[in-house]
Amino acid sequence: MKLQAGLLAVVLAGSLAACGGSDGAGDADAAAKATGPITVWYSNNPEEVAWGKQMVAAWNAAHADQKVTAQEIPTGKSSEEVIGAAITAGNAPCLIFNTSPASVSQFQKQGGLVPLDGFDGGTAYIEDRSGDVAKQYKSTDGKYYQLPWKSNPVMIFYNKKAFAKAGLDPEKPALGTYDEVLATSRKLVSSKAAKFAIYPAPSNEFFQSWFDFYPLYAAETGGKQLVEDGKATFASDEGRKVAQFWRTMYADKLASQEKYTGDAFVDGTAAMAVVGPWAIATYERKIDWGVVPVPTSSGKPANEIHTFSDAKNVAMYSACKNRGTAWEVLKFATSQEQDGKFLELTGQMPLRQDVATTYADYFTKNADYKTFADQAARTVEVPNVPNSITIWQTFRDAYSKSVIFGQEDTGAALDGAAQKVDQLAAQS
Amino acid sequence: MSRLAVSGSGRRPGVVGRILGEHPAGTAFVTPYVVFLAAVFAYPLGFAVYMSFHDYFFTAPGAIVERPFVGFDNYVTVLSDPAVRRAFGNVLVFLVINVPLTVVLSIGLATALNSAIRWRTFFRVSYYVPYVTASVAVVGVWLFLFNANGLVNSVLGPLAPDPSWLVNSTLAMPTVAIYVTWKQLGFFILLYLAALQNVSKDLYEAASMDGAGRWKSFLNVTVPGVRPATTLVVLLATVTGANLFTEPYLLTGGGGPDGASASPVLVMYQKGIEQGNPDIGSAIGVLLVVGVLMLALAERRFVGRED
Amino acid sequence: MRLRFIALLVGAFVFLFPFYYMLVGSLQAEPDPSVTGAFPSPDNVTGQNYVEINKAIALGRSLINSGIFTGGVILGTLVFGVLAGYALARLHFRGRGLVFNLMLLVQVVPFQLLTIPLYVLIVRSYGLADSYLGMILPFAINSTVVFIFRQYFLQLPAELFDAARIDGAGELSILWRIAVPLVKPALLTGVLVTFIGPWNEFLWPFLITKQQDLQPLAVSLSNYLTTVAARAANPFGAVLAGACVLAAPAVTLFLIFQRRFIATNLESGVKG
Repeated sequence: MKLQAGLLAVVLAGSLAACGGSDGAGDADAAAKATGPITVWYSNNPEEVAWGKQMVAAWNAAHADQKVTAQEIPTGKSSEEVIGAAITAGNAPCLIFNTSPASVSQFQKQGGLVPLDGFDGGTAYIEDRSGDVAKQYKSTDGKYYQLPWKSNPVMIFYNKKAFAKAGLDPEKPALGTYDEVLATSRKLVSSKAAKFAIYPAPSNEFFQSWFDFYPLYAAETGGKQLVEDGKATFASDEGRKVAQFWRTMYADKLASQEKYTGDAFVDGTAAMAVVGPWAIATYERKIDWGVVPVPTSSGKPANEIHTFSDAKNVAMYSACKNRGTAWEVLKFATSQEQDGKFLELTGQMPLRQDVATTYADYFTKNADYKTFADQAARTVEVPNVPNSITIWQTFRDAYSKSVIFGQEDTGAALDGAAQKVDQLAAQS
Repeated sequence: MSRLAVSGSGRRPGVVGRILGEHPAGTAFVTPYVVFLAAVFAYPLGFAVYMSFHDYFFTAPGAIVERPFVGFDNYVTVLSDPAVRRAFGNVLVFLVINVPLTVVLSIGLATALNSAIRWRTFFRVSYYVPYVTASVAVVGVWLFLFNANGLVNSVLGPLAPDPSWLVNSTLAMPTVAIYVTWKQLGFFILLYLAALQNVSKDLYEAASMDGAGRWKSFLNVTVPGVRPATTLVVLLATVTGANLFTEPYLLTGGGGPDGASASPVLVMYQKGIEQGNPDIGSAIGVLLVVGVLMLALAERRFVGRED
Repeated sequence: MRLRFIALLVGAFVFLFPFYYMLVGSLQAEPDPSVTGAFPSPDNVTGQNYVEINKAIALGRSLINSGIFTGGVILGTLVFGVLAGYALARLHFRGRGLVFNLMLLVQVVPFQLLTIPLYVLIVRSYGLADSYLGMILPFAINSTVVFIFRQYFLQLPAELFDAARIDGAGELSILWRIAVPLVKPALLTGVLVTFIGPWNEFLWPFLITKQQDLQPLAVSLSNYLTTVAARAANPFGAVLAGACVLAAPAVTLFLIFQRRFIATNLESGVKG
């Protein structure tokens, strides 16, 4: 009995020691200049893979001594888990072209990210490329731990066939104000043009509010973030209006409380969807769609409407040895030329100023995407604050309980969540 | 010491026997397993306990942060969180439904499948299929069956619950429990099938000579005959049930509606991994482990009594 | 008799339905989530979903990787798990209680609690990133199966072992020549149970390696499902087709071996 326990203790202590040993951060300045081969990760959807492959090939062709090796990681939930584990184990790649802004504060706290301001002209590069939008990506210590890379400004897609079937005008749908959306939705459902008017995922994952509450909230407030100056902003009149709008959608069964397998918009179960331009590639050939900005209570004109950006960024990870090369690759991959290729191959919006004019050729050829380029100028990001994911989960729990399932007054739920969020945002 | 153990032949009493027990070969036999446990699990497990008593978060190697010892603070945080308490309550509901149902159904079905019956192969394969099928797909099927407009509600007509099964805060957890019973049953049937092969046929013959019917001989011969398997089934059903994660994660969209089907492991995952508070997550995990161990030992005493 | 048959038939229907639904759905050209979608209709049948999977992932390579991963785990569990299970059931040695409790403990601990420390241990301390060994190691001996083996060895009559020991047989030969043949159905159960874990495991192999030529089928399929499938002509059908591809080998394996579950001494005892 004792023998084994002893053995166990020895092994335990041994492995603790083995893992506890640190190899030191090294001289940051030297690392910042070091060059040599690096590894990068990018998302595994076919469009982004195609872009990533040509980018890496182009770089490698010109830099034989600083080869880039690329690997794919899945998008979505598991990618954050994978990155978190890699940071802890110290084998994260140099660059990840799929870093969720919501995770940045956590990765930063873990010591997993390299501030990009440390490189020559780093801050200027980021701010020149992205313009005013860049500021939303600054961390609370005033540094940039991420390069704002590309956005998917969220808008309302609608199914023209379903609208026609319900006797609605498929070219000029009435979707500007909440009342219009509600009336349109009722018509869609009562005419059986679709089972549900719209189908945002009603499940409880922390990020789902980015595709129901948050875009409408951004529009209603003219571009407010969920948390500003360390305080929750959503328990306001605007927040209440948005919550009440969605509450009505659920209460009148215009949206479903139940999780759906598959894509409700693609198979015609829902006549509308809240998504960004990435989805166009999946709708092509299957749906005759149109797109409008998200609604506001008063029906603001399209050129004043803000929405959620659904951005993915590039970050440099502290396990990176050849940071000099990594920084150069980062600049190369986000150059005007590569951004243009990215736009062309994926249809997602590079987070740079004046996308619409810089790539005017592309938008004349692809008129569908022009709307998104215009919208991209007015996007709101998730707040870059400590406990970001806990904050979103707290919000989601309250939203789910009150708005989706109607078990609590929406106003009271927002107040309760705001109180908790204030506490969370105050911690560091 | 370990050298002694390896050379022991098993029949030598005396010094070796006194130190290592009656069968020193046993030590040799379990050594690879123990080494494996020590090499793979000891560190992460010890580490989880360590984290639960500290203000801890994962960092990149080389990062210097303070991780003060905080005593039972994390446990206090966890226990005063209504979401966590609710998750533990939910899993109890789950176990109360899932475990007895699993035992009764699997022993009954295994007995039936063990007898000479037409299409036996077909039946065995059918019961095994959900167990081997990846959850992503099976969950899709259940959503199809149990959603508001699904097959089940169509069949029930006016009797269908409103709100529907998976979004009904009273019915969500029982539905998940039945789902898991169904998904795992093939595995438990296998366990009973294997156990039934070792129940002596003479006992059945003796029972039938005594004029016992099929039901009587099931109760008097089969049930006691597979007792070690029953212990196994009860324990494994409890353990896998307590670790419930995939189902609320996929089937009820993250423990919905409103946390009614959240399980402790789900909450642990959200807080520990997603939200980056592994200290809190570990505290939930440790509480769960202690709770399940107590439950398992109680069950073992109650159902087991094998030696 | 007839009643039991009918009950089994109804049960089989309930259990087989998802698989049936998967098959039907995976062959649909257009997704049909309504109740009628559960019945195949001739003008909506296509093999396209499978063609697309075959196009998107290297099935052969993935299957080989799955085979190595799963095979390694089965081998480890069969060799060392049988030894441990036998010792825990039949041999009295110092520390047996402790080992038994450890075995229970390991099963009780949720894997999500250990993931990150385990990953750090295996990648940093053991340096096993991007290798089959790193993939196999955490699963190498399945504790549940050790427990299963123990329970079945426990079921064997004690006299058998006493007699063999009096004849002077060593423990290894008692195990190999007497105990193992008697618990063959349990061994097969063990193999099947062991098989399922690594076969369906997604997160761990993916954490260990990002190199596609090392990734097992479950990982390739899951990558396919999260991204490519959404663009397939019928996304839901693509998901179901993926699930069928993953389930088919497991079902086949079971079909081949299921007969052996009853091969030992059952035939005489089947009296209904």
